[in-house]
Amino acid sequence: MSSVNVLLPQQATILDITEETPDIKTLRVVGKDGLPFDFMPGQCAMLSIPPLGEAIFSITSSPTCRECLEFSIKDVGKVSGALHSVVPGQQIGIRGPYGNGFPVDEMKGKDLLFIGGGIGLAPLRSLISYCFDHREDYGHIDIVYGARSPADLIRKGEVKESWAEEPDTDVHLTVDAEFPDWDGNVGFVPTYVEELGFKPENKIAITCGPPIMIKFVLQALDKLKFSPDQVITTLEMRMKCGVGKCGRCNLGPVYVCKDGPVFTLEELNALPAEY
Amino acid sequence: MKKVIAREKLPELWKSLSAQGPLFLPVQEGPVVLFQQWQEGAKINLEATNTAVPPKDLFLPREETYMQYRCKGKELEVIPAEEVKPAVLFGVHPCDLSAVELLDKVYIEQDPADELYKIRRENTTVVALSCTEPDPFCFCNDFAINPADAPGADVVAHLKNGSLLLEAGTDKGKTLLKQAEDLLEDGSGQSFEPGEVKTADFGLKLEGLPENLKNRFDDSAWDELYKSCLGCGVCTYVCPTCYCFDVEDFGHEAGGERFRCWDSCMYGHFTEMAGGHNPRPGRKERIRQRFMHKLQYYPETFGQIACVGCGRCLRSCPVNLDIVQAIQTFGGETVEQC
Repeated sequence: MSSVNVLLPQQATILDITEETPDIKTLRVVGKDGLPFDFMPGQCAMLSIPPLGEAIFSITSSPTCRECLEFSIKDVGKVSGALHSVVPGQQIGIRGPYGNGFPVDEMKGKDLLFIGGGIGLAPLRSLISYCFDHREDYGHIDIVYGARSPADLIRKGEVKESWAEEPDTDVHLTVDAEFPDWDGNVGFVPTYVEELGFKPENKIAITCGPPIMIKFVLQALDKLKFSPDQVITTLEMRMKCGVGKCGRCNLGPVYVCKDGPVFTLEELNALPAEY
Repeated sequence: MKKVIAREKLPELWKSLSAQGPLFLPVQEGPVVLFQQWQEGAKINLEATNTAVPPKDLFLPREETYMQYRCKGKELEVIPAEEVKPAVLFGVHPCDLSAVELLDKVYIEQDPADELYKIRRENTTVVALSCTEPDPFCFCNDFAINPADAPGADVVAHLKNGSLLLEAGTDKGKTLLKQAEDLLEDGSGQSFEPGEVKTADFGLKLEGLPENLKNRFDDSAWDELYKSCLGCGVCTYVCPTCYCFDVEDFGHEAGGERFRCWDSCMYGHFTEMAGGHNPRPGRKERIRQRFMHKLQYYPETFGQIACVGCGRCLRSCPVNLDIVQAIQTFGGETVEQC
């Protein structure tokens, strides 16, 4: 029997591209026959554009969306830069899904507090959308989302209009400094989280953003008396294989690509702080 | 199945095996011995203790193209590489065989299996060769390896009294010996009992080492240990249990190939992310990663230390910063909990 090389990508086609911010685009991608694979929120996929190679991205869409996969991608490197110049109809390589995903079953019955910064909303968006599609499984939802400026917030229409309209949901937006026409909060995400004074009872906090933001969000949640098993984050590391072999994302006994990227703070505290 | 062949007839055996598929064995190349494909006139060296580079190359090649791509307009075509042909790997010493078994755990047993590695492993018949005389850098005894024996190989070979004794341990091994039966004589009357070979005693205390190291990630000993490291990465290339790789494309927009190749956690780019952040920015972090992976992380997952005492890092490191030094620094001492 012929076996399958897990490193081989399959073909995927770009459906369309949305410009979110000056350096973030959302690509909608479809496989040969619909979705290239099934997945869970928080999982990732390896996208490739030869001859520039492959890079790993979190899937921004929810598995409840059956039309396509979405990837919100910031232009920071070789592959992400190339993905910013694709056009509708263009084929790229895709393989996955990789990683553990968010513990959607363990989170059932809990109130959820999402805390995102900048492009960090990308993996959270998959889970947020999933929770709205299974609304009865989850309690009250708070979404704190911030960026440097109003122009750097991604998926603004969805965040401000549809999410804010969802039942039993509060959206709290913030930007780092004053901007004309900005009527939301002004201040850094961690400070805003503390100011909002969330109570930890029956709540799970899920955070993703730049490392410096995560660091201070964790401190803020600690001050608000969230215990480490109530806090979930998703790590980003350099990866080449996605299946726990190539060695880059090795962190103590785990490989972030297969054992993560989602960890509770309790799990993270047991690992070397080398991320 | 036991067979025997006189040493002067070995060239005929190499020729016969080569006729059936690629045969890799230790070949003298100037001052070093390397596993190379046999060809007429090759200087085979079965006496060498260890090849300069381990035979992991056969299963995890230092470069391996696994697909071609073609782009035409908006279309992308992916063409997988052809499957590798069966091969024979002859003359693997017991330490290197144990190292391959350590790689098997990561590349075959751990889900998902790496098919490129798995196919090469399945398609290769491994003939192990027991050691008669270890060199001063060998310390495989510390890892419960007897260099005079190699259980687990398809065929185990021993050089004895001007002959090569061959004993098949698996069906693949039996098939190999049958293929060469015209040249081999019955060895059932010969003694195959492996002796015992003693390797160097560096006074290593391995018991409890992985558990002990768990609390020593932030130990100040790392602040000293790494200082002599030049970051050359030779330790990782010659190490039979190092298995990290890189994936890159080579070609142009219309077409090319994707390959993987050995990489090293000793290099800064290894963990550097697109935005410039590097979780292991300096030599201290990288030295710690390499030794912790061998002595703590791998054992925590697979229950054994990822070193086989082949001695290659002792022979190759230009500043003598080898695993023995790391074990001596951390081994067997009690930890003060902080």
